[in-house]
Parts: sequence; structure tokens; C-alpha cells
Amino acid sequence: MSGAVCALDVRSVSKSYGATVALQDVSIELQAGEVHALLGENGAGKSTLVKILSGVVKPNVGTMQIGGERYEPSAIVDARRRGVATAFQELSLVPNLTVAQNLSLPRQAKGRFGLVSGAATQKQGAAILNRFGLRLSPSAIVAGLTLAERQRLEITRAFACNPKVLILDEPTAALAETDWLFGLVRQATAAGASVLYISHRLAEVRELCQRATVLRNGRSIGTVGLEDATDHAIFEMMVGRSQAEEMQRRAATGQSTRPAVLEAEGLAGGSLKDISLTLREGEILGVAGLEGQGQRALFRALVGLAPLASGSVKVDGAAVRLSGPDVALRTGRAIAFLPEERKTEGIFPALATATNIVLPVVGRIGRAGLVSERLERDAVAGSSSEVDLSPRYLDFRVGDLSGGNQQKAMLARAMQTGAKILLLYDPTRGVDVGTKQSIYAAIRRFAESGGAVLLYSSELPELVHLADRCLVVYGGRIFAQLSGADINERTMVAALTGHSIRDTAA
Amino acid sequence: MSANLDVAAANAPGSNLGIAIRRGLTDGAGVVAILYIILFALYALWDPSALTVSGVTNLSNNAAPLAIAAAGESLVVISKGFDLSVAGIVSLSNVLMATYPVEGPGGALVSLMICLGVGGAIGALNGLLVAVLRLQSIAATLGTMIMGQGLALVIMDAPGGTIADWVSYTLTDVLFGIIPISGLIMLAVVALWLVFRRTDTCMGIFAVGADETAASLSGISVVRARFTAFVGAGLLYGLAGFMLSVQTATGNPSAGTPFLMLAFAAVALGGVSLTGGRGSLVGAVIGAATLMLLQKVLFSGGVSSFYTGIFQGAVMVLAIVFGSVISRLASTGARA
Repeated sequence: MSGAVCALDVRSVSKSYGATVALQDVSIELQAGEVHALLGENGAGKSTLVKILSGVVKPNVGTMQIGGERYEPSAIVDARRRGVATAFQELSLVPNLTVAQNLSLPRQAKGRFGLVSGAATQKQGAAILNRFGLRLSPSAIVAGLTLAERQRLEITRAFACNPKVLILDEPTAALAETDWLFGLVRQATAAGASVLYISHRLAEVRELCQRATVLRNGRSIGTVGLEDATDHAIFEMMVGRSQAEEMQRRAATGQSTRPAVLEAEGLAGGSLKDISLTLREGEILGVAGLEGQGQRALFRALVGLAPLASGSVKVDGAAVRLSGPDVALRTGRAIAFLPEERKTEGIFPALATATNIVLPVVGRIGRAGLVSERLERDAVAGSSSEVDLSPRYLDFRVGDLSGGNQQKAMLARAMQTGAKILLLYDPTRGVDVGTKQSIYAAIRRFAESGGAVLLYSSELPELVHLADRCLVVYGGRIFAQLSGADINERTMVAALTGHSIRDTAA
Repeated sequence: MSANLDVAAANAPGSNLGIAIRRGLTDGAGVVAILYIILFALYALWDPSALTVSGVTNLSNNAAPLAIAAAGESLVVISKGFDLSVAGIVSLSNVLMATYPVEGPGGALVSLMICLGVGGAIGALNGLLVAVLRLQSIAATLGTMIMGQGLALVIMDAPGGTIADWVSYTLTDVLFGIIPISGLIMLAVVALWLVFRRTDTCMGIFAVGADETAASLSGISVVRARFTAFVGAGLLYGLAGFMLSVQTATGNPSAGTPFLMLAFAAVALGGVSLTGGRGSLVGAVIGAATLMLLQKVLFSGGVSSFYTGIFQGAVMVLAIVFGSVISRLASTGARA
């Protein structure tokens, strides 16, 4: 792996925004044909490094080389010209354009007189989709795609530039299965490209990458060969303390006798075919499913965000009609929903973190109908410590926080409502290891104090770790109900793909 | 794995005609065009002279200034901005033409160039302030609007002056005894738009209007897209001022003031989303024509002119409600 000229050589790069140092003295080397992982907690500086490599921001100090030649991209198109393409974590697709138009941004295919040709763009887009095995209509408007489809399109667009250096920032955040992506990565590296792979999922990183560089607090801590490094050692490099808590099943605590707080019977409509479930007090009920199996519709239906064709919902034993999250918050022991996309469905980026947390209950914390900032701070103190959110962030605009802290704030908001039933949709998507542990602990404490949690996660180990019982959804139905020792990854993987447990258990 | 790659993508692009029809309706241009036809039928019913050459020419002359101004406004609105300078530029062009009339076809060309020059220059200033210096578009263009109006007052402190005869007679006339020249000019604007629509810059304007961050991460130059929108808008306001002078044959330093609100009304009526990224210049042009036609319809229907505003507002609200219902239906239809 040594000797040859590096595909990408980053040396002592630093970047600061005013007084805030985002990156300091970061170095990283990518060999040709290598898949190199970039690891670090949220806020460690990964996004800044990605932006520098992609030509979005310029470093203050430091040098970069590609294939031995100076690399100072002035803009994202310049970076692409030099063979660096990026699939961004926040997805850089333009929502009002079609799939094909997005694939050929910023220059569309031209027809006569040098004018944009819709047909040629469409044809070019279809060819790219075909080449990368993506089943999308080139004429579909991006705004109408699911998150997973958009993520795939973002990845495809980066691959379509035929880059020498490919940067994939959290490419699997919205994907339930990775075969497609890993196949593309292996093809590209076999052809000599190098890939910088950023993910919070260590299992994925181990499967795909050879070496990893760890960032912490904006500095590169070191580069390790993944074969020689234990998970524990890597976590320690990332968080600087021993956080590597063993993932173990929590003991079942016999909730089956406790009262049901949320019951759904025969829910159907949209992508839901027939779903019934019972959530009991003190219970964490897991939901597992590959993308698009109806789990999103289920959660949204339970708070009235998606219409139901049929079926009934009971809260605390009483039949209710939930017409929206506000109604859900006032029903029975109250249902709070943590949505999937915190950026678009969750946070109000321009408001302070504390204000974001109290928003649903803002009417309760005022005097004479006026909101008091001091009361707001008092109200937030409890819920923010519950999710392990440092009080110093409370006055910052939530949009300026790292993804992990934003997610903690979202969870704090759900708890702040006083709801005793939480519907958590992938609460640890794209957050770092340390934050995950805080979120797990908060969820567990919540259940132990008598709350009930319906938890969907795209990461099976999380469900294995947290859930008392686990439902597997497939094709809009509950395909399997697992409990006790059956909640293990092997059984779940089989059920996820619609294989009966008995077939594979033997 | 390979099985996954070998799967031929199921790329069945829907029928192009169907897409075009749906786009037309959801763009809003379709809705307002239907509205225009209905109103025109009513107008012809109440006032048969509407169908004569002079009736049509009258309508066209009447609509041209606002239609062209609204066309300019739509460019900026699609890029997710607001441009108030329309009022300043129209006033300024008008008083310049009334203060310095130049006779003959060559004179008309000189006047047109002056109007375009003024509009383009203020548009470029707007572009500099909004696109390059990243000021809020309402604030920046409010400033340039007031500057433009102030300058117009300095040039001409009270209504007066005359527009060159050649300009006001020839350009309100008809070609070959049947085609209104003002209509040809509007058509030329639309034709330019249809060409511009098929450039990367125009796609950039739509992309920036929908999601600036995504657009810039996709390699689109946000500065260039915004700047182009403002300069294009300024040029069109200059042309609108020219056409207004042709029509009124006199100068008035506050001639552009009514254009401010009416241009936005036309843009909204034409189905251009005021939140950016959606709509068409054609919609704005038809929207403006509809507003002007409505005045005529009400007049010929014997409604007192005091009620015009009420009807204009109500029609606008109805058209927008109707348009949003249709686009919601279309999007749920597309998803199901």
C-alpha cells in the first residue's frame, strides 16, 4: 500500500470560521483503489473536511494533492473536473427538477442550436440509471421520491462523474440494505478509484474499508488498519474515552400484564395493508422493516399525519380518532412523535435550542399568555439533562448544532411534551456513537418510568439492544412478531426479507 | 450483487403529452389561460366590438406594458426573490422618453435602447446587491425603486411632455391591417423566454429558487443565476416603460407606481409560486392580460369602476385557490 503516489494526499489542513476552529492540522492519505473510512463523532469536523475536498469551502492552511499534483479546487465543478465527486449527507438534489435533469446538472444535454434538449437529457439520465441499476423513472420529479430513492440518486450522481476520488458522506443513512452501494463501490475501486467513506455504522465500515482515519474535535487522531483494530480501540479513538458498552439484551421485565396504552387494529391505507399492534405501559416495542415496507406510513398514521382507509386506534382503551400530532398530544396519556427527517420535519433552525424544545408546550410556560425566557430555561433543564444535552447548547441556534445534538434536542422536545407514549422513527439516524448511547439510555429510562415507546430503527443491533418485543413489517403487514431470544439479527434479517422464521431457523 | 446490477431499470417515461398537460395545469399557466378565454367570451358577449381588429388591438395595447413588466417580475420570483424596482424603472423610462422625444423609426430605436439601458443598469445594480452582496431582495430593490422614482421626479417634476409621434402612432397600430404590433412585441418576449427556458442558466434560476444549497452543491452558480434573473427583469421593465409611453403618449413621474402591486398580482395569478422555483413567464404574461381584460369586462358589463378592485382581488384569490387544488390533485395522482 505504500511506495506509489497517493491518489489523494491531504496535509495539515486547517479551517476556522471566525473564532471557531472546525479543522486543525488534519492529514489523510488515500491510495488508489482503496476504500478509506473517515470516522468521528458528530462535530468532529468530518463535514468540514468533505466540504474542503469537494471545493465548497477553502482551507486556511495546508496542502492537498491528487496523484502528486496540487489540488486547490475553486468550486464544486472545479473539483469534479479534477476527478473528485461527492455524495453529500444532506443530499444535494434540486427538488423541483426531474431525476434526469438532476443527473446532468449543472449542464444539461444539448440539442440543436446549443439549447437544452429535454429528450436528450432524459435519454442520458436513463442510460446513467441503467448503468448503475437504479429503478427510477428519469422523468420523475425529485420532490416526489422517497428519502431512500433520493439517497440512491445522490450516490448515483456522484458515481456518474467517473471520479478518481469519490467521497461518500453517510451514504447509507436512509438505506436499509447496502448490497447495491457496496457493489458499486467495489466496481469503482477495482477500476482504480479511491473512496472516502464516512459512516457511523462500524459494521459497514469493516465490511467495506481497509483503513480508517479518525477525527476528534477537528484533529486527525490517527489512521488505523481496520483488520488490526478492535471496535473498542476505534471507539476510544473517536470519543477519547471508553464508551464501548457491550450491546446486550435488556432483560424482559414481564410487561405483558401491564395495561395496553396504544392499540391499533387492522390499519390500512396508503402503503399499509393490515397492521395491528398493542403497546403496553413500560414497554419498548421495536419495529423493523426494509425501506418502504409501510413503517413510515404506520408511524404517520398513528399521529394522524397519514390518512387511514380503515382500522381503529385505541388510546388507554378508548377508541380515538387522531387527526394530527396536536390532537395526538392531547389524547389520553398523550402521544409524541419524533419524525424521520429532523432537518425538514423537526427543527426550526433559526430558533434557539431551548425554544425548539419547548415549542409544543410553549403555552404552558408563560405568564399571562406571554412567554418568559427564564421560565423557558427552567422548563428545558429537566428534559435536556434527560437526553444528556449539554446546557451550554441551549442558547445556540439549533441549526448551528451538530446533527447528534440536534437529535438530542428533538428527543428532549418529545419528552418535554409530557407524553407517556413516544413514537420514535429512527431516532439515531446519522448520529455518532456517543450520542447513540445517550439516546439509548434516555429511551430506556423513559420506559422504566412507565412510558411506552414504539421504536423504528434502520439498524437491527439497536432493536436487538432495546426492544422488549419486535414487529417485522413487510409489504404493509406485520410479517413476524418476535420476543425474547427470537430478537436476534439472524432471525430478523430472515423476516425482513419475507422469509418465514421456521425456514431459516433450522 | 450482480443480479442487482443486471436488473434493467424500469424506465418507462410517462407519455410526453400527458406530462406536458399536467405541467401546464400545475404551472398555473393553464388555469389562467382558461380563465382568460372565459372572460374574453363574456366580453365579446357584452360588447361585440371586442371581436373587431380595433377591439383586439385595444386589448393588446392595454395589456402590453403590465404583461411585459410581470414577465420581468416572474424571472426574479422564480429565483426566489422579489423585485420592487419595477415601479422605479417604468417611471424613469417613461419620463426619459417624454423629456427627450426622438422622431422617426431611428428615434424609436434610440428611445428603446435608452429604456433598456436604464432597466438593464438598475437590474445589474439589483443583481449586485442581491446576488453578489447577498442582501435581502425586498430591502435592496425597495431602495433602487425609491432611487428610480426620485430620479424620475428630478427629470420631470410634474406630468407632462410628449412622446415622439412616430412612436405613439406606429407602435399602437396594426401590421397588415390585422396584427397589433404590441401583441407582436409580447409574442417576441414569450419567444425569447421559450428559448431562454432551454438554457442551463434558466434551469439554474429554477434550481436556485427551489433550493439554493442543493443547487450550489450540484455545481450551479447561484450568483450567476440570480444576477441574470435581475438583469433580465430590469431589461423587461425598461421595455414595459417603453410600451407604457407608447400607450399614454405622455410623461408622468409616478407612471410606474401602479405596476408594483399589479405586477405581483399578475405573477401570482399566472401561477408563479411566490416561494420560488415554480411557474412560467408565460403564466405571468397571461395573468397580466387577464387583469387588464377583467377591467374591460366589468366596464362593458356596466359595473361601476369603483368595484373593479373588489372583482380583481376576488378573481385572483379564486384562481390561486383553483390552481393549488389542481396541483394538489396532480401530485397525489402522480404519487398513487
